[in-house]
Amino acid sequence: MEVSYDKESRKIVQAIERFARKHSLWVLAYGTGCGAIEVPPTMTSRYDAERFGIRGAATPRQADVLLITGYLSVKTLKRVIRTYEQMQDPKYVIGFGSCTINGGMYWDSYNTIKLLDMYIPVDVYINGCMPRPEAVISGFIELQKVIAEGKAEGARKYKENLDWYRANQQKIIHNWNMPDYNW
Amino acid sequence: MEVKLQVENEILDKIKHTFHSAEVSIPRKQRVEVKLRNDLIHPFLAYLKDTLGFKHLSHISTVDWLEEKEIELVYIVMNYDNLVEVIAKIRLDREKPEIPTLREFWPQVETYEREIHEMYGVNFLGHGNLTDFILEDWEGIPPMRRDFDTVKYAKETYFNRPGREDAQDVRTTITKKSGEEIPELAKVYSVRHLE
Amino acid sequence: MREKETTIYLGPQHPGITGNMMVKLKVTGDTIVRAETHVGYLHRAFEKLMEARTWLQCFPIVCRICVPEPDPNEENLSRVIEEIEGREVPERAKYIRVLVLELSRLATYLLWMGGQSGSMGLYTMPQWTVGDRDYILDLFEQLTGGRVYHMYIWPGGVRRDIPEGFGDKVLKVMDYLEKRLKDYDDLLFNNALFYKRAKGVGVIDKNKAQEWGVVGAPLRGCGIKHDVRIDEPYEVYDKLNFIVPTYEGGDVWARAMVRRQEFEQSISIVRQVIENMPGGDFYNKIPNPLNWRVPPGDAYVKTESARGEFGYYAVSDGSLKPRRVHARGPAYVHGVSLLERILQGANIADVSFIMNSLGTCPPEIER
Repeated sequence: MEVSYDKESRKIVQAIERFARKHSLWVLAYGTGCGAIEVPPTMTSRYDAERFGIRGAATPRQADVLLITGYLSVKTLKRVIRTYEQMQDPKYVIGFGSCTINGGMYWDSYNTIKLLDMYIPVDVYINGCMPRPEAVISGFIELQKVIAEGKAEGARKYKENLDWYRANQQKIIHNWNMPDYNW
Repeated sequence: MEVKLQVENEILDKIKHTFHSAEVSIPRKQRVEVKLRNDLIHPFLAYLKDTLGFKHLSHISTVDWLEEKEIELVYIVMNYDNLVEVIAKIRLDREKPEIPTLREFWPQVETYEREIHEMYGVNFLGHGNLTDFILEDWEGIPPMRRDFDTVKYAKETYFNRPGREDAQDVRTTITKKSGEEIPELAKVYSVRHLE
Repeated sequence: MREKETTIYLGPQHPGITGNMMVKLKVTGDTIVRAETHVGYLHRAFEKLMEARTWLQCFPIVCRICVPEPDPNEENLSRVIEEIEGREVPERAKYIRVLVLELSRLATYLLWMGGQSGSMGLYTMPQWTVGDRDYILDLFEQLTGGRVYHMYIWPGGVRRDIPEGFGDKVLKVMDYLEKRLKDYDDLLFNNALFYKRAKGVGVIDKNKAQEWGVVGAPLRGCGIKHDVRIDEPYEVYDKLNFIVPTYEGGDVWARAMVRRQEFEQSISIVRQVIENMPGGDFYNKIPNPLNWRVPPGDAYVKTESARGEFGYYAVSDGSLKPRRVHARGPAYVHGVSLLERILQGANIADVSFIMNSLGTCPPEIER
C-alpha cells in the first residue's frame, strides 16, 4: 500500500524505518559454502552477534539478510536466486569470503561462479578466506551503516535491472524452470 | 629390519593360485596390489568378498591415462579380520569405457559408479540409475577427463573481476597500478617461471 | 482411511540439514517411506584443480574438503606423498601431528555435540560447546596462524615448531574441557530426554554394517571394534595408550556415547603427547617446492577422522603436479547410501537428528 506523505514527514518516517531495519537483521540460515563454519561461533556465546540484533531465521520469508557464505556452484546459484526472490523487502545480501568477490582460490574451477554481483545485487562484501567472526560482525556493522544512510538499495536495483540479471543468470543456468519474480 | 608379511603372502598365494593371469605384488605392509584383466574384476571381487572375507569396500577410484588412451579403475577392499587391503586395478579403453556394475556386491557402489560415470564417462552396464549425481545439466565431455580444460571453460562461462580474468600473478597487476617493479629475486618464485 | 504419499524436500535451505544438501522424502503421514539424497551443491572440482597445481599448492585445497575438520585431510595428503616418495618424518613432527589431529577431533566433537542437541531442540548445548570449541581454535591460531584452515601439516613434518609455553596452554584447555564434560553429561548424555529421544532411532544393522561401508563412530556404535588408529597405526599412535570404546545397539544413542567416551580418550592422548614430546627436528626439508617432482607411483592411506575412516588415493606420474588425488570421506557412504537406507521408516523430525549422528558433511561427498 502506497501512502503519500509530505516531504518533511516522509523524512521522519524513513529515519524511523531505517533505524528499525538496521537493528533487526535476521540472517537466513543457508550455509551455501564453507564459510558457514564461522557462522555458529559468530552467533553463539563467544562473539554473540545477537548484541547487534543479528540472529538466524529459518525461512526466506522471515529473513532480511542473505549471507552468501563462500563460493556458489552453479547448482547452488539456482537455489540462491530462488531463495533471494522469495525473500521479502527489505532484503540485503552480504558476500562472505574472497570467493564471492573474485573467485578466490577457485578462479579456475569449472563449477563455481567468480563474480557474485553479476547474478544478485550485493550490498556488502566481507573479504578473507575465511573471514573471522570479528570480520563478520564488522561486515554486519558496515551493512547497518549502509542501511542508515539509505544506500542499501540492492533489492530495488534488482527489480529495475531484472532483465540484465536474468540474462546473466540464464547464461549459466541452462535449465531454467523457475517462477517469475513478481514483487 | 625384516618386516614379516606372512598374511600378505598368504593372500598373494591364494590370489595367484585362483587367478593365474593376475599380477600380484606387495607394496608394503597391509597392502596387496593386483593388476587384472578387465573381465576378471567381477569374479575377483566376488572371490575376495565371499571366500577371503574382504567385506569392506574402502574406495573406488579412477585415473585417466590420457597418453595411453586408457582409464584405470582402482578398487580398494579391506578385510576386517587380518586388516589387509587389496588394491585391484583394471584398465578400460578410453574411447568406450564399459564394465558391468558391482551394485549387487555392495550397496554403496551405486554412489561411486554414478560419480565415476558422471565425471569420467565410464558406462556401468546394468546399473540402472546412472543419473546426475553432482553436476546439474552438464553438457560436453565429462569434466574430470584430462582433456577437459577447466581454465578455458571457466574463462568462457563466467564473469571475472577485472584484473583477475587472465589469472595472472597478482604482483603483475600491482606493478601495473603502482609502477613498482617486481624485484629480480622475487621473480624466481613463480610457478609459471618453471613451465 | 488410506494415507496419501506426499513428497517433501528437506533442504538445501533448511536449518536442520548439516550443510548444503537436500533430502527428498516420500512420506505417508509422518513416516518416511523412501528417502533420496541429492548432493552436488558444494562441488568445487577440487580433484580437477589439484591436477593443475603443484604438490605443495594442493595443501590449501585439501583442507577445504572437509570444513569442520580440515586436519585429517592435510595429514592424509602428507602421508600419501611421503609414502610414494619414501620420505622420513622426524619423531617430533609425528608427535606434533598427533597433537593437531587430536585437537581437531576434540573441536569436531564439540561442534557435533552442539549440532546433535540442536537437532532435538536443546539449544543450550550449541551455545556452550561452540563457545568452548573456540578455546581449541585459539590454540590452533597460536600454533598455525589460522582458526579454521591450518595448512600446518606438510610432507616431511609440520610447517613450524610449537611455540614456547604452548604445551601448558594446551593442558590448561584440556583441564577445562574435562571439567566441562561433566556439564555436558548433565545436560545431554545423562539426560533422560536425550536417552528416550535417541534410543532405537536410526538403527544400523550390526550384521550388515561392514558390508554397507559404515566406518568410525557409527560402526563402533554397532559393537564392532574398528579404528584406523589401532588397525593400521600411523604416526605414533602405537606408542600411546588409549582404548577404543564400543557400544551395542547401533542407534543414535550408541553413537553419541561412543563419541562421548572418545572425547575423554582424546583428552588423555593430548596429555600423553605433551608429556612425551621429544626434542629435535620438526621438519625433514623438501626440495624447492616449485620444482619438486614426486617419483611415479601410487598409494592409499587412511586416517581416523572424528567421523570415521578418511582415505586418500594419490597417483603421481613423476611430474610437478599430481596425476590424481582422490579423497574418500566417511560421509561419502554415510551421507548418501547409508542415510537413504536408515531413513526408511523414521519420522520427518528424525532426519536432521540422524544426519547429525552420522556426521554427514556434504563438502566431502562432492569435493
